[in-house]
Amino acid sequence: MSFIVLRDVIKEYKTAHALRGVSMEVEKGQWLNIVGPSGSGKSTLLNIIGGLDSASSGEVIIDSTNLGGLSENDMAVFRREKIGFIFQQSHLIPYLTAVENVMLAQYFHSMADEQEAVDALARVGLGHRLKHRPSQLSGGEQQRVCIARALINSPEILLADEPTGNLDRENTKVILELLKKIHSEEHFTIILVTHDPFVSQWGQRVLTMEDGKIKCDEFICYL
Amino acid sequence: MSLSVIYEAVVVGFKECFKAGIVWLIFSAYIVANGKRISIMPFYYGILCVFLISAASFFLPREFVNREYLSNFISTSFAVIFLASGAALFHASGANPEAKGGLGGIAVFLFTILFFSPDAVGSVLFLKELSLMKEAEVMTYVSALAGVFLAAGLALVIRKASNPAWLGSFFTLPQLLLFLAIVKLLSGGIKGIAEISLIPAVQRGFMKFSHDFIHQTLVILMVPDHLLLSTTVWDFIGIFFGPNLASIVSLLALLFFPFMFIYYSLLKPAPEPEAGRGPERRKIKYLLLSDRRRKALPVVFFVCIIVTTWFMQRGEPVTKLYNPKPKPVVEEQGAVMIPLDDPTMNLRDGALHKFALTHQGEEIRIMIIRKPDNALSVCLDACEICPPDGYGQSGEHVICIYCITPIPISALGEPGGCNPIPLSASVDSKFVRIELGEILKKWEYVKSGKSKEGIK
Repeated sequence: MSFIVLRDVIKEYKTAHALRGVSMEVEKGQWLNIVGPSGSGKSTLLNIIGGLDSASSGEVIIDSTNLGGLSENDMAVFRREKIGFIFQQSHLIPYLTAVENVMLAQYFHSMADEQEAVDALARVGLGHRLKHRPSQLSGGEQQRVCIARALINSPEILLADEPTGNLDRENTKVILELLKKIHSEEHFTIILVTHDPFVSQWGQRVLTMEDGKIKCDEFICYL
Repeated sequence: MSLSVIYEAVVVGFKECFKAGIVWLIFSAYIVANGKRISIMPFYYGILCVFLISAASFFLPREFVNREYLSNFISTSFAVIFLASGAALFHASGANPEAKGGLGGIAVFLFTILFFSPDAVGSVLFLKELSLMKEAEVMTYVSALAGVFLAAGLALVIRKASNPAWLGSFFTLPQLLLFLAIVKLLSGGIKGIAEISLIPAVQRGFMKFSHDFIHQTLVILMVPDHLLLSTTVWDFIGIFFGPNLASIVSLLALLFFPFMFIYYSLLKPAPEPEAGRGPERRKIKYLLLSDRRRKALPVVFFVCIIVTTWFMQRGEPVTKLYNPKPKPVVEEQGAVMIPLDDPTMNLRDGALHKFALTHQGEEIRIMIIRKPDNALSVCLDACEICPPDGYGQSGEHVICIYCITPIPISALGEPGGCNPIPLSASVDSKFVRIELGEILKKWEYVKSGKSKEGIK
């Protein structure tokens, strides 16, 4: 069985269908990009895989665990242990420093360890910006702090929702290079949502969505 | 027959059975949490033995069981369990942070007997005395049994409502032993309602120790004149063994091991796990720390209980002193003659008796009390060092009213320190005879506030 399996996943809101029977499989360690126009259901799909939202029907099975059968507490543990998130907005705590923001993720996982957080920031090239608050960092640097925060607990899946949406091309490239480097070292699974054709080429597989359905699924060359 | 008999008997029965019930509850939870590596059967066998010992004590003649020895045995059993808990806490707090200890079946059996039997025997004897005194044998025992069933029912209800695995997760061997010591401390008294806990006895013991220690140290330092042992100096030195400081110092001594354990559990950093990646390593460390903190919770709880009850019961030895009004006596032909027995009193009844002799307008008090060996102790109602406020009786001790120092009745007749000044007296079949010269000579020491020649 594949690492991530979705079977006929439907997500309905009162007046709209966000997902209309999505089925797909993702192997462990794969880098999957999901592309599509606004409102195609990319982010909804990502949120359901990450346990932030639930499907109206269908099955979501990750590492042999059916998310539909998990209680709220078990779901929290699942997210804590398996998933790392990166969003378009950094969502860093403004009054904490870069290293403290990373330590916060450690704290909610188990306990804080400053040295480990420092090492993680050094790994994303921010060893010299440890004590800076988010407002003192550039957009690219903030997103690098988010990568360090997302990966500090060694998740098996990294979910990134438009991680470069706020960045210029140069910083986008820096972030993608960084993700590529860490992915090749740690072999975790990446599912990245984007509408940027440049970003969508930085993976092994591209899934195109339209109107809540998968329109196209193709394997590409890892740039 | 009064309601107080029923009440006292119910309290005694309830107390003894609830004590057993609560220990059973925690011990069985401890067993569940520790994977049932030990059996609860030795505990049951121990309880059976305690029951047999108590039943046998019921048929023993009254004189056979010495009340003072029994009290000492109860205090000693508390001390043994408390020190054992201290040793276990120390072991767990030492260089080996994950030190594990276990209980063997024989240890459980012997501990159960040591823990319950002295209190149970004491309670049986108390009930026996109560029933004879109040001439209400049936009602006393029925009431005690009612207390037993009430406590057993309550323990079963608590057992039903509790989750043994959760409860047991707070306990390893040190916490279990400390819990036993706390139960003993809070319910080890054997005199029914009057002394439901051991705290007054423990306070007296600590204060006596601190008093003796300070006194002996000073005596050693001041030999041969004891010039500094004047009343004025003792007014200051008395602070150290008075009811406040001595009580607090002795409380801190009692709490030393628990404090050490809490310090270790809450403040010492966790050892670094040898293997594992970052998050795994942090998780192992976190589990170690949270388990340590969880295990510290009952110790914190016990400390709160000890401190609360300690201060709630502080001063009991003073307020509950038996201090009879001195009966006037007169001097005849150079001596004071006090009858052993008259319609109003019996000098051999174990209670404190006081007499007042007026000489040249000055009142001199004499006290007489039967010692555990049945000899009569005749002393001045004053000591060498304190102002002559006299003594009151509290159980097996007389207490100096001025400095609150407890003196065991068995130690009366020994001179020095805060002991009542002994008087040479002769006792025949009818009277206690004390020479006036002896009384006046010793009274002079009291007035001078120091024992220049030593009182021998």
